Amino acid sequence: MLGEFEYLLLTAAVRLGDDAYGAAIRQEIEAATGRRCSIGALYTTLDRLEKKGLLKTWMGDATPQRGGRAKRMVRVNAKGVQAAASFYNAIAHMSRGVSWAAKRGAT
Amino acid sequence: MNRFNWWLVEAVSRSLDPEEREAVNGDLVESGETGAQALRDLLGLVALRQAALWKDWRPWLVLVVLVIPLGVLLSLVSRMMADFSAIYSWMYLNNWTWTYLTNAGARTDLVGYAAEISLRYLALFCWSWTAGFLLGTFSRRTIPVNGSLFCCALVLGELFEAPQYLGHWLILPRPLGQGAGSNQSGIYALTFYSVMFPLIIQMLLVVLPSLWGMRQGLRLGVLTTPRRTLLWMCVIATVTALGTENSVWWQVRTWYVRPNPTPVPHLPSLLTIAFLGPVGYWLAAGKTRSEISNLEISNLRRSK
Repeated sequence: MLGEFEYLLLTAAVRLGDDAYGAAIRQEIEAATGRRCSIGALYTTLDRLEKKGLLKTWMGDATPQRGGRAKRMVRVNAKGVQAAASFYNAIAHMSRGVSWAAKRGAT
Repeated sequence: MNRFNWWLVEAVSRSLDPEEREAVNGDLVESGETGAQALRDLLGLVALRQAALWKDWRPWLVLVVLVIPLGVLLSLVSRMMADFSAIYSWMYLNNWTWTYLTNAGARTDLVGYAAEISLRYLALFCWSWTAGFLLGTFSRRTIPVNGSLFCCALVLGELFEAPQYLGHWLILPRPLGQGAGSNQSGIYALTFYSVMFPLIIQMLLVVLPSLWGMRQGLRLGVLTTPRRTLLWMCVIATVTALGTENSVWWQVRTWYVRPNPTPVPHLPSLLTIAFLGPVGYWLAAGKTRSEISNLEISNLRRSK
């Protein structure tokens, strides 16, 4: 079972597709949650998910807006998608009938 | 201030793996954060990485076997040497007279003391370098924590005067001339000699050479077996001399703990063995480094 932040990271990476890398994922998570995402949490979680075999990372190209530094690119694999789907289903199932989920469904 | 923070970001990020450093620094630049925010973020990551490394038993072993004993020992030796040389510094610097040079007897004394103090200072420098080298070699990626703890052991030991109390427990000689009842208590009544002078000695002859040694230890490449053997024999001899010269050996030589006035065999000073560590490194790794830099230069020329 994934943790909350692991789920957020996997989802952000899937949404970004081929453009998924450290800074972009961080921005996506911050926009979705409205909270600051620390670079420490991001990179240690990336390592953990890679060790679990849920995603793959590699060094990409350098760009001028990054001061000529390379990006750490991210791709979620089939196992990662499955883990994220299981987490989402569990949350959705658990949330059925609770007041905040009902309110959200009404709006 | 912002430029300074970014300089700190660059410096702190050196403790990360090269690829991770590249990606993280790029992310920090791209996100448009201020230097202070970037530094805070990076420190968080470095702390998490270091914490992960300390889950292993090896950094703890280095901490217990090397960092704490060497830090405390060098703190003690540094204080002892500072106290020893304070007497002569006060005598010659605070009470300078040309008679020290014009009088043949006084001149001989001056040259003799200068030579002895220089030898002791050089030995302390070499011990500190070798201790730093050992820490750098064995700590590797945990060097930010181990190096900081080593410096803390040195500086805090000095500031809180731990050596005076530890000296009783570790059978190490107590700093010379300390205490109101000693012959040199007048010298230590001067703030410079009781506080500033030991700190200056420690900074110049212990902290800086240790940091230099750590740097060399971290940069140590792969050596052939004969070179590696030579290097480690020299390093072990130096560290053994550091422990021995400043504890039992020193006490026997100076009859410090001799229970009765029976004659003891004359034991030679081990100070000269202190130089073996840096010399061994120079012999074993010096040529390798120059070979590496020559190779780098020729590769650069070829690529141009």
